[in-house]
Amino acid sequence: MGVKPLFVLLCSGEREKLQMAAMMASVAAVSDRPVEMFVSMNAMLAFEKGKSTDDRYYGGAFADALRDKKAPDPVELISQGKMLGEMKVYACSMALDILGWEMDNLIDEIFDAPLGLTRYLSDAENGDLITL
Amino acid sequence: MADRQTIDARGAFCPGPLMEMIAALKHVGVGDEIEVLSSDKGSVNDIPEWVAKVGHEMVGTTAHEGFWSVVVRKAK
Repeated sequence: MGVKPLFVLLCSGEREKLQMAAMMASVAAVSDRPVEMFVSMNAMLAFEKGKSTDDRYYGGAFADALRDKKAPDPVELISQGKMLGEMKVYACSMALDILGWEMDNLIDEIFDAPLGLTRYLSDAENGDLITL
Repeated sequence: MADRQTIDARGAFCPGPLMEMIAALKHVGVGDEIEVLSSDKGSVNDIPEWVAKVGHEMVGTTAHEGFWSVVVRKAK
């Protein structure tokens, strides 16, 4: 029986959810489970090119703890997952349009392509979909 | 005789030690070993789970004062 891919739909810009999404995606990818991540809404703002770490993340009490304890950076975890496993990261076309952004506005070497929700949801029928 | 490389991941939080070990495994030969020093209990449990899932070999886990040593052998 083949491994079911993991689909992570990331909408929140909160550090806590970005952290969990990055952890799930990277660990799944390095565990021989293909991952497709779809980044939209507030989450896209965290991936803006040129933002400092302080400006990239916000959240509640646990976000402060993650920062203070120097937990792995979510963007770096995603980068590691792509490097060490099978992971695709897509930028929501609608969110890009709302922001007036192009792919070049996003952090380099993270995003594979812009994508629409129709195609993403169709692909997700073949795996497990988690939304954060 | 197999080579052993040690990664000091003490102070790093999950999944940092696991990811560092996986990155190191990519660059060693079959039969070589990676020793990860970790102060993160979650990682000490996660690494054997990952090893079993992808098909490498656990050599052993040793508890020290404030950290663990987890040794993995590259099997493929």
